[in-house]
Amino acid sequence: MKAYNVVGHSVRRLDALEKATGTGTFASDYSLPGMLYAKVLRSPHAHAKIISIDTSQAEKLPGVKAVATYKNTPRVKFNTSATMTFTVPAMEPVLDQYLFDNVVRYVGDEVAAVAATSEKIAAAALELIKVEYELLPAVFDPLKAMEADAPVIHDGCKEGKNIPGDIVKIPYGDVEKGLAESDVVIDETFKLPVQKQVQMETQAAVARVSNDGKITVWSSTQTPHPSRMILAHVFSVPISKVRVLNPPYVGGGFGVRIGLSAKAEPIAVALAMKAKKPVKLVYDRKEDFIASDTRHAGYVSVKLGAKKDGTFHAMDLKGILNAGAYCSFSCETPGVLGAMGLAVYRIPNQHYYGHSVYTNTTPAGAMRGFGNPQAMFAIESAVDMMAEKLGFDPLQLRLKNIMQAGDPWCLPYPCSSSGLAECMEKGAASIGWERRGSLNRPGAKILRGIGVGVGTHVSNAWPFCVDYDNAYITVQQDGSVLLASGVPDIGTGTSTTLPQLAAEALGVNFDQVSLTFGDTETTPFDIGSHASRTLYAAGTAVVAAANDARKQILAYAGEYLEVAPEKLELNDSIIYVTGQDECDARKVHLKDLAYHAHLRNKQFIGVGRIVPENAPPWHAHFAEVEVNTDTGQVKVAKLTAAHDVGRAVNPVIVEGQIEGGVLQGIGYALSEEIKYNEKGKQLNDSIHKYMLLTAEDVPEVDAIIVEANDRSGPFGAKGVGETGLVPTAGAIANAVYNATGIRFKEIPITEEKMYRALHEKA
Amino acid sequence: MLKDYLLPESTTKVVSLLDNCNGQARIIAGGTDLLLDLPDGKVATECLIDISRIAELKEISLEDGIIKIGAAVTHNQVAKSDLIREKAPALASAAGSVGSYQIRNSGTVVGNVVNAQPAADTAVALVALGASADIVSSGGNITVPVEKMYAGVGKSIVDSTAQLVTCVKFPAALANEGSAFVRLEQRKALALPMLNVAVMVSLKEGKFEWVRICMAPVGPGPVRATAGEDILRGAKVSPELINEAAQAAVKQANPRSSALRGSKEYRTGVLPALVAKALESAVAGAMEINK
Repeated sequence: MKAYNVVGHSVRRLDALEKATGTGTFASDYSLPGMLYAKVLRSPHAHAKIISIDTSQAEKLPGVKAVATYKNTPRVKFNTSATMTFTVPAMEPVLDQYLFDNVVRYVGDEVAAVAATSEKIAAAALELIKVEYELLPAVFDPLKAMEADAPVIHDGCKEGKNIPGDIVKIPYGDVEKGLAESDVVIDETFKLPVQKQVQMETQAAVARVSNDGKITVWSSTQTPHPSRMILAHVFSVPISKVRVLNPPYVGGGFGVRIGLSAKAEPIAVALAMKAKKPVKLVYDRKEDFIASDTRHAGYVSVKLGAKKDGTFHAMDLKGILNAGAYCSFSCETPGVLGAMGLAVYRIPNQHYYGHSVYTNTTPAGAMRGFGNPQAMFAIESAVDMMAEKLGFDPLQLRLKNIMQAGDPWCLPYPCSSSGLAECMEKGAASIGWERRGSLNRPGAKILRGIGVGVGTHVSNAWPFCVDYDNAYITVQQDGSVLLASGVPDIGTGTSTTLPQLAAEALGVNFDQVSLTFGDTETTPFDIGSHASRTLYAAGTAVVAAANDARKQILAYAGEYLEVAPEKLELNDSIIYVTGQDECDARKVHLKDLAYHAHLRNKQFIGVGRIVPENAPPWHAHFAEVEVNTDTGQVKVAKLTAAHDVGRAVNPVIVEGQIEGGVLQGIGYALSEEIKYNEKGKQLNDSIHKYMLLTAEDVPEVDAIIVEANDRSGPFGAKGVGETGLVPTAGAIANAVYNATGIRFKEIPITEEKMYRALHEKA
Repeated sequence: MLKDYLLPESTTKVVSLLDNCNGQARIIAGGTDLLLDLPDGKVATECLIDISRIAELKEISLEDGIIKIGAAVTHNQVAKSDLIREKAPALASAAGSVGSYQIRNSGTVVGNVVNAQPAADTAVALVALGASADIVSSGGNITVPVEKMYAGVGKSIVDSTAQLVTCVKFPAALANEGSAFVRLEQRKALALPMLNVAVMVSLKEGKFEWVRICMAPVGPGPVRATAGEDILRGAKVSPELINEAAQAAVKQANPRSSALRGSKEYRTGVLPALVAKALESAVAGAMEINK
């Protein structure tokens, strides 16, 4: 691949010093003069009707400035997730939430909120609110919630009992015929747990409403522009009268705030309107656990058919996911589960059927991978079972069947590139695949095994969702460059990599570029950070803006140097004639040219307006595990993650993304799960009780970057953000099977589950 | 409501402050438990008496074969102490597995014991080491075995509004003695133990002279596996016998089923392997010192 000056180099992150020294600011750091503090009263019941609510005592408490309930806030239906701003017609977004309602549908649902002069007073005021509930029957499992006697959680489900939105069906070839023609069929159902994002910064918003009604919200959202649209809708004000911004950083996201930060923004705004003072609302960690979106739990069924020679011939995939109490992204997630699940292998006959089901648990929404990790745990387990049945090496069976660039598939854009085979070869070498099968001595207490899992993903959401980007580049009077993009930096390095793209495309030094981002008032519309899209899609707009500015610069320089613009080049901020020798005086520094233009009433302003294409990133994970047969503990000894990311614009940032994803994937496979008790209360509602990996649990992770040539994205880059955990659970479960001969169809594979399985086997 | 925070510089002063406050003051050392319990309303006090400035309480000492750990000594001090690692490895290992690194930098071993959680790692190790605590108050000074300091789940016999534990103390391991601590947990930091086991053994001519086996959380506090100890006492060291003792230990364990940290069946099933592993390590330690 071509070498570039800035792209492909691990330049130091522009946010590094601020974050490392603790001076970088986040929504939860923000404060304004006269600001009040909000606390939220949450439902102790999984499903109940509010018979009466009396806030009079709370309002009398000194220091309390406003109390909000369903009685005095807008009765406007919305969806906290950005789905309500980017669902493609003729599909309709599901709007099933009010700011507050007189029915509560899960433990943690919002009942009321108080703004007071201190957080302590606000908390004390909550205790003075008297609520009388009529308990309603509750249901927690998606299969049970579809049964005839299950309670109705929301009216208006047209596809079936408690099913939000539309059922997703993806037909491809003739699956019935294909299965009938197959020599071997694997038919299995897998159960997936609730995983939580546990991003570092909890949901946070500071809202100010000016005297003339303009709303400003400093927010932890990962999509400022769509969040602004949602707030304008809830409060019935013009979009132009709402400003949403990150100040400027966001403490992670992993999907939890694509749209609003749960209800932090609208509650803060509602209270600020009532109190006529700025209001800050920061969720505590327990609120973040119980009252912001989780990953979808549920069931995935796979019927995989193959010919005796190992050729996959048919796959019937089905996903039934737990939506929780409100829809959020519960229409899109089963769609991505199916679309990605069907895109990995060349299978002529496929079908997918999937949907979510409302239950009385915390709403499920977007989380890194968005349905794909659920699909790939099931599919990659089934593929391994197929390999065993056919007598194939699991790696060889996969290599025989994986999608190749140019292959037809079910997705509405071409399979433009694939480095998957290279990922598998490099990954196999890193893990020592040839050692597989010879790792255990008879009678050993620690059993070792090696497994593989593969997958793909998207590089943005087009054409599944509305997805477009704008960017401005303004060349300053000294030749330095200000870039404006409406995406946030949720920790993924966007505020470094977008300037890298701008510097490279324009032909200026990296240190000349500055970025304004995460602010609806200083940037043009952008969908934001989700779907592994930010660098790929917003980056495409940045490159388009840079090309536009460059064209203007060269045109002006052409007149200045009296050379035709097409003969000029711009590199290191110097404009010169292509191929000229050193003595040739026909060159000018951008600094001088920009000032020359300024004195003649001109500025170079580049505009990029694009609709991204899409491109598949690919990945192969290899896990080596050790199973302690005394205790049932499964330890990952090494995890190799080989990723085709197209062009790695900043390799160190890419490696960080992969490593972080892998750790979430290991947690998904082995330890992370939110369980509920019989009353619908979360048992794992704190970091102490939720078994996220700690720094001490991190195994050796070998992140391998593979760069397959893909022309669609900026400098060949593809998506990477979500991909680090897509195939991980499958790889680990397959390694566990290789070690023990026990096939787990349910994750996480906890020590107790393993211990029980070992004893059942013995 | 908290009104005052005092930093006395001697234990005598602590005792007189406690006395003057008449139950309205409470000792704070590392504060890693107390500072969570206060805002949660689990503990209320008007005054905190911080003992972390008292020099004599911040020391680990060895005198006449007795190791003393002052009440302000942190987990990390103990975990990193060469003396403890050599003469009481079970305690070094237990202190090194409490909470997380930051918690171990602040929290104290004595605080861990006084907080009286059923599976307090250092309490389990201290019981195996045969430790006792010196407790001072205006009513007089007493010494109590750590094993007797639990008054129930989360309840200590120490009243931190009237008494100060100045130190825990135990005999340093002799050349023929060894100790070990084993822990089953869901991750390597910030995880309460599903089970923890500490043992100390004394060997003589290839036989167990005496053994102390302590396990948790299988009762309100650390539980001695005396039946297992009896099996080993005076018997020749062998893997078979260690396994027999480990199986016997389970009969004295009564773990509860926890939705978060494993069922009774699981804990009961795994416990013998942990006891055996601890015994094997302690025996190896006792032999290593012999060399």
